[in-house]
Amino acid sequence: MRASPAPLKIDIIWLYLRDEYPAAFEILKREIASLESAKIVPTGYIELRRGAGAYICGEESAMIESIEGKRGLPRHRPPFVAQKGIFNQPTLVHNIETLYWVARISREGGEILTSVNKNGRTGLRSYSVSGRVTNPGVYLLPAGSTIIDVIVAAGGMAAGHQLKAYQPGGPSSGILPASLSDVPLDFDTLQPHGSFIGSAAVLVLSDKDSVRDAALNMMEFFDHENCGQCTPCRVGCEKAVKLMREDKWDITLLSELSDVMEDASICGLGQAAPNPIRLTIKHFPDEV
Amino acid sequence: MDIKLHTIAFTLDGDNVTATPDETLWQVAKRQGSRLPHLCFTDSSGYRPDGNCRACMVEIEGERVLAASCLRKPTQGMVVHSQSDRATRARKMVMELLLTDQPEHTHNSASHFSAMAKLQGISVSRFPAIEPLRVPLTDDSHIAMSVNLDACIQCNLCVRACREVQVNDVIGMANRGRDSAIIFDQFDQMGESSCVACGECVQICPTDALMPASMAKNGGAAASQSPDKAVSTVCPFCGVGCQISLKVKDNKVQYVDGIDGPANESRLCVKGRFGYDYIHHQHRLTTPLIRLKDVPKGLNVDPANPFTHFRAASWQEAIEAAAQGLSTLKKNSGGESVAGFGSAKCTNEEAYLFQKLIRQGFGHNNVDHCTRLCHASSVTALIENIGSGAVTASFNEIEHADVAIVIGCNPTENHPVAATYFKQFVRRGGKLIVMDPRGTAMKRFATHMLQFRPGTDVALLNAIMHAIVDEGLQNQTYIDENTENWQAQKDHLNGFSPDKMASLCGIDAETLRQVARTFANGEAAMIFWGMGVSQHIHGTDNARCLISLALMCGHIGRSGTGLHPLRGQNNVQGASDAGLIPMYLPDYQTVTDNHIRAHFDEIWQEESDAIAVSAKPGLTVVEIIDAIHNDEIRGMYILGENPAMSDPDVSHARAAFAKLEHLIVQDIFLTETACFADVIFPAAAFAEKDGTVTNTNRQVQMGRKALDAPGEAKQDWMILIELANALGLNWQYSSPRAIFDEMKLGMSSLDHITWDRLSNENAVTYPCYGENQPGEAIVFGDSFPRPSGRARFTPASVIAPDELPDTEYPLIMTTGRQLEHWHTGSMTRRSKVLDAIEPEANCSLHPKTLRRLGIEPGGMIRLLSRRGEIELLARADRAVAEDMVFVPFAYVEAAANLLTNPALDPDAKIPEFKFAAVRGEAVG
Repeated sequence: MRASPAPLKIDIIWLYLRDEYPAAFEILKREIASLESAKIVPTGYIELRRGAGAYICGEESAMIESIEGKRGLPRHRPPFVAQKGIFNQPTLVHNIETLYWVARISREGGEILTSVNKNGRTGLRSYSVSGRVTNPGVYLLPAGSTIIDVIVAAGGMAAGHQLKAYQPGGPSSGILPASLSDVPLDFDTLQPHGSFIGSAAVLVLSDKDSVRDAALNMMEFFDHENCGQCTPCRVGCEKAVKLMREDKWDITLLSELSDVMEDASICGLGQAAPNPIRLTIKHFPDEV
Repeated sequence: MDIKLHTIAFTLDGDNVTATPDETLWQVAKRQGSRLPHLCFTDSSGYRPDGNCRACMVEIEGERVLAASCLRKPTQGMVVHSQSDRATRARKMVMELLLTDQPEHTHNSASHFSAMAKLQGISVSRFPAIEPLRVPLTDDSHIAMSVNLDACIQCNLCVRACREVQVNDVIGMANRGRDSAIIFDQFDQMGESSCVACGECVQICPTDALMPASMAKNGGAAASQSPDKAVSTVCPFCGVGCQISLKVKDNKVQYVDGIDGPANESRLCVKGRFGYDYIHHQHRLTTPLIRLKDVPKGLNVDPANPFTHFRAASWQEAIEAAAQGLSTLKKNSGGESVAGFGSAKCTNEEAYLFQKLIRQGFGHNNVDHCTRLCHASSVTALIENIGSGAVTASFNEIEHADVAIVIGCNPTENHPVAATYFKQFVRRGGKLIVMDPRGTAMKRFATHMLQFRPGTDVALLNAIMHAIVDEGLQNQTYIDENTENWQAQKDHLNGFSPDKMASLCGIDAETLRQVARTFANGEAAMIFWGMGVSQHIHGTDNARCLISLALMCGHIGRSGTGLHPLRGQNNVQGASDAGLIPMYLPDYQTVTDNHIRAHFDEIWQEESDAIAVSAKPGLTVVEIIDAIHNDEIRGMYILGENPAMSDPDVSHARAAFAKLEHLIVQDIFLTETACFADVIFPAAAFAEKDGTVTNTNRQVQMGRKALDAPGEAKQDWMILIELANALGLNWQYSSPRAIFDEMKLGMSSLDHITWDRLSNENAVTYPCYGENQPGEAIVFGDSFPRPSGRARFTPASVIAPDELPDTEYPLIMTTGRQLEHWHTGSMTRRSKVLDAIEPEANCSLHPKTLRRLGIEPGGMIRLLSRRGEIELLARADRAVAEDMVFVPFAYVEAAANLLTNPALDPDAKIPEFKFAAVRGEAVG
C-alpha cells in the first residue's frame, strides 16, 4: 500500500472489506491506525469500508457505487473506472492479493515470482480449494499448476472419490471435466475452454457428484446474488434456475438464453453466469 | 474551432451518418428513421438514459458484447449494426423474458410495454412463470394512484421520475436481484408514504404498474376505455402555466398528462394531474339564476340547492335583469356607483373585455382583481424601479444560476412544478438561500435557511445589503452603468448594520454576512419571492429591497440571473397585462396620460353608449369594499372571483356585498360571493373554453376547449359580450381570436405574437422580437424601460406590521395555501382526490405552543382576532415559530380571512394578509 500511492499521486485510498471477515477488519483497523500514528500516511488517507454482504460489490464499479453510499449496481462501460471511477475521479481498483504481492516484490524483489516456472507459466497463485479433497484450504502454488497439482497440494482426493469435474475459479468459471486435467490454471489458459481462472476458488467434484446439480447450485447462487439491474441477468438467472430444475433441460432455450445473457448483460456477473449451463451441456450432456 | 471536432462520423447499418457529441446511438437511429425498442429509456425531457432494460441493444464492431443504444454515444469511425441477427435476438429475448411475468390480464393493453412487444412481434413467452406467491399484490391505498407491481419490469423510470425529475425522493428500489422492488419510503403503502401525488411516476411508467386510480378502478382492461380525444391546453391552477393534455371520453376528463410546455417540460403536480374533476361536480351552475324577492342576503345558500334563494331564469331574462340593474344605478347614481372585479382565472381575452366593459360602460376605472391581494406591491415596486411589472427572467433560468434566494414563498406547495427546478438546481450544486419565518419544505434543500421574525423583511434585506457594501462586494461597474440613485441607497444602508439588525430580524450578524457574500459572489443569481414578501403594509418596500439587492450585485439581465415574483393564479400575469387594474389600461399604460387614453378611445370607438376612458385612477379591491360601506358604490359585477372568501376582514367584505343594491356574479359554482348576488351567470370552466393565458414566465399560452359546458353554462367572453350589448355597447366579436386581435392594437407586449402562432406553437414568450423567435426569457440585459434607461434604487425603511401582538392577542397569524387546495377552495374542495387528501380546515402551530394552550395535536382550536373567530383542527408543526400560527385560507367553515387585518400598503394597496394578532384557545 505504501508502494503505490506516491508515484500515482493518489489522493485517498478506500479499503472495501466484506463484513463477513471481522478478524480482517480488526487487523486492518489496527494497521491503518499505526500507519497514521507513525505519520506514514495522513489521518483519513486510508478509509476502511465494510461491505454489507453483497457478492456483486466484488465487481469494481458496483463496489465504487457502494463506497459512494449507493446501491451496489455495476456501472456501464465506457467510461471505465480508470477514467472515471469513484466520485467521478480516475480510480485504480486492486484486489488485496495484488497489493500483497506488490509489498513482497518491493521487499524481496521480483524474483520471488519470476523465478517460479511451471508448464510454461511464470509466477505464483493462491488457490482456494474446496470440495472432494482431503484437506480443503488455501494453497500457494506455481501459477502453471493444473487441477491435478492443486488436488495433490490439498492432500489428494477425499477417500473413495474420483475426480469427475472441477470449477477452476469461482462459479462464474463454470465446470470443466476431469479430461481437461492438463490445463494450467492461470490467466488466459482457460479461455479456449470457455472458462477462466477468476478468483482461483477451485471446487473439486467427484464421481459421487452430479454436475448438473452443481451447475444448478451455481445458477441459484447467481440468482440470489445478481444486482437485479438489467433484464438479461435478473430475469435470465431466475428463468435459468427454473429451466435447470426441470427433469430434462430445454437445451435450445437455455442456449439461446445463455447467448443473450452473455451478450446483453451489463457486467461480468451476468455475462459469465451462463458458463455453468454451457459447460455442463458441452461436457456432461447425458446428465441434462 | 474546427467544426469537424463537433461532428462524429460513423456507420450505422451500412449508412454513413453523423452525430453531435451529445447524441446517443438511439437518437441517431431515430433520426435515421429506425425506431429501436426502448423500455427504461424515454425521450421525454428531463430523463437521463439508464440502460438497464437492455431492450435497445445494438452491435458495435470490435466490441465483445452488445451496447445499449439509449446510453451509448458514437465515436469517430464506429461501425454499428442495429439490425444484426445478434442484436435483434437479444432485444427480442429481453422482451420475451419480461413478458413472461406480465399479468395475464394486462392493466392496459395500450401501454408502452405492449406497444414495444408488438413492435417486435413478441406475444408469448417460452419461459416458466414466476412462483404465484412472489407476484406482488395491488396497492390501492392511494386515492389517486393504483400500484400494480405485478406488471413492474424494474426499469426504474419511476425512481428517476421521483428522485431526479420531481426531486421528491419517495420512490426507491429495494432489495436485490429477482427480489428488486419499487418501494415507497420504507416499504410503506403508497397512500401512507410521503408521496405528494405529483403523478410523474404514473405518467412515465411504461407498463402501467403505476396508473391513475381512475383508470385502474374501471376493471383494468383498458382498451375499451381509451379516450375519445386528447386536447392540449393549460392547467387552470397556478401561475406556473403547465401545459397539459386532457384525455376526454364521453365529455368527461378521464385523466391528464403533462406535455412538453416551456415552463413544465411534461411535469405536473397533484392539482394539475388529479384535480380536474371539479369540472364535473354536481354543484356546477347550469342555468342563469335570479334572486327571489325578499330573501335575505348572506352566506346562507347551499351550493347544492340554490333554489331556496334563487330561481332559474333564461339567459335573455338574466342578461336583461343584470343590465337593467346596472343601467338604473348608472342613471340614478352615476357610472361610478358600479364597480367590477375581473378574474385572474379567466383568459386574457376575457380579462380584456371585462376591464373594457367597466371603463367603457361606466366611464371610470373602478376595476380590479385579485392581483391586488397577491403581488400588487411587487408590481408597484418593479414598475417604479425597473420600469416593468413582470419577471425579468423565467423561473427555468435557475438552470443557469449558481445562487438563488427563495424568500416569502413556499414553492413546493404553491408552485410545485417550479419547485422541481429549484430542487434540481440544488442537486446540481447550486446554493439555495431560503428566507421565511416558516420552515418550508425547501428548507431541506437550503444552503442557508434564514427563519427570520415575521414582518422584518426590510431589516433583514437591508442588513444583507449593508454587509455587501461594507465588504465592497457590490458590482460597481454594473451600478455605474445601469442604475441611478445609488449614492442615496448606499447612504441609507449605513444605518442597517447586521449587528444592529440581528436582534430585530432574529438572524445573527455572521449568518447575514455569509449570505451577503454568497449572493454577491455568485456568478449568476436569481431571486424568487411570493406573498410572504408582498402581503404586508410594507410589501412594496420589501420588493424594493429585493430589486436593490439584485441590482447592486448586477444579478439581472443575464442568463441565470433575475427577479422573479412567482405569480399565483394561472392568468394573474395576463389579467394584469390586459388592464384589470384601476390605474392602468392594458400593458400598464397609465390612465392619467391623455395620449394613451386617446389611443384606446380610438380602438374602442364602437357607435354606442360608450364613454371615453376616465383620467382618474380607480379604486382598488379593498377600497371598493369600503366605498360600498360609504354608499359610493351600489352595484358590482364580479367575474370568477370570490372576495367573500379572499378579502381581508372578510365579514366586513361580506357585509358590503349584502349591502349592494345590485350584484352580478359570474362563476362556475355558487361561490360564497355568489350567495350575495342578485343575478348569477353560469360560466364555462377553463377546460370548456378557448383563449390565451399568460403565466409567471411571461409565456402566452393557448388554452383549448376540451369539453362542452354543462347545461346552459356559457364561455365568459360570450356572456361579457351579451351583457355589454344589453348595456348598449354594440360589441361585435365573433371569437376569442377577434378579441385577441383587438388587444394587439393597444398592447405592444403582444407584438409578433399572433393567434395563429399560439395555435401552432402553444406558447410564445413576450416580449418577442420576431415572428420566428420564441420570445425573450430574460429581459433588461441592455437597458431598462424607464425614461433614463436605468434602473433605480429606492431605499426602504423599517416599518412595523400594522397590528403587533399584545397580551390579549399574543400570536402572529399568517395565512397561505396548502399543496392540495387552490385559493378559496371553490375548485379544489370539489375535487374528489384533492379533498380526500386534505379534507378539513386546519392550522399549524409549534408543539410547545399547542402544549401551552392545552391542545393535543389533531385537537380543535379556536382562533380569535379583533375581527372574528374561527374553530379548526390544530396540527403540530415545528416549522412554525412558537409565537405564530399558520392558517390556510381555503376553508369556508373556518375562513382565515375572518381574522385577517385589512390594513393596506400605502403604495400598492395590498392588505397585510401575512400578519395579524390573534389568540388561540382550546375548544370545549
